[in-house]
Amino acid sequence: MEDFLAWLGASALGDAMRGAGVWTYGVLNLAHILGVSTLFGSVLILDLRLIGLWRRAALGAVAAPTVPLAAAGFVLAAASGLCMLTTNATEYAGNPFLLIKFPAIALGLANVAVLHRLPAWAARDARGPSARERRQLAVAGGASLACWLTAIAAGRMIGYW
Amino acid sequence: MRTRILVCLSGACAAFTLAALPAFGHHGWAGQGSEQFELSGTVHTPVSLAGPHATMKIQDADGQVWDITLAPPPRTSGAGLNENVLPVGAAVTVSGHRNSDPNRLEIKTERVTYNGQNYDVYANRL
Repeated sequence: MEDFLAWLGASALGDAMRGAGVWTYGVLNLAHILGVSTLFGSVLILDLRLIGLWRRAALGAVAAPTVPLAAAGFVLAAASGLCMLTTNATEYAGNPFLLIKFPAIALGLANVAVLHRLPAWAARDARGPSARERRQLAVAGGASLACWLTAIAAGRMIGYW
Repeated sequence: MRTRILVCLSGACAAFTLAALPAFGHHGWAGQGSEQFELSGTVHTPVSLAGPHATMKIQDADGQVWDITLAPPPRTSGAGLNENVLPVGAAVTVSGHRNSDPNRLEIKTERVTYNGQNYDVYANRL
């Protein structure tokens, strides 16, 4: 872990971030917050729908705007987060919140892969789910909320360690 | 039903936030001692304006290396403390607040003095 962080900090990206002016970190932080809020705002709506709220709105109609927005938010957050990490990489060695945050993100992404393999998800524009499928969707939605809330909470706490 | 779920969720979030609040201090001054702390030494690692806070390291007379936490980069630079101002080995004095954990050699610094010149990165706190 420490070797990896040292390599990351010494990378060309790290050098570029440290040399790019005094406002660089603040702007990266802004991009990260925009990315995280776009990601979480979108998954919050989709996950609560999967759990069973707002059944009047068809799942396909809810998924259409929230899924691409969540993906865009994730890409923005991941790119800006990587840049912030390289700026001061070795400072984070031994920070326990990193070890909570990154596994939570990995689980969140794995949950996306699982959700996208569910037949009820694939058929969301064609038909409603059966009772059993509804439970599967609800579990995926709950797991997603747990993963992203954990990642965000641990991520916020990294700077306070 | 759905209102009840939403109320429960918001309640859980609020409780979590309140429970977590008192435990953290960095980014403010709560993790530092309240008394003014001054230290003289030589520059070990020059000023970095990388962020989130500008930093440097100084070595005291006993050879111990201290982490000097400065203001955020724009503010530190605005106080005149740029990366090339303090050469390695320069004799400096810093004034600020020591980390309240006695095992951590860290000073959240308000003023750096070098060559008769004060760099007040937190001028409003002096």
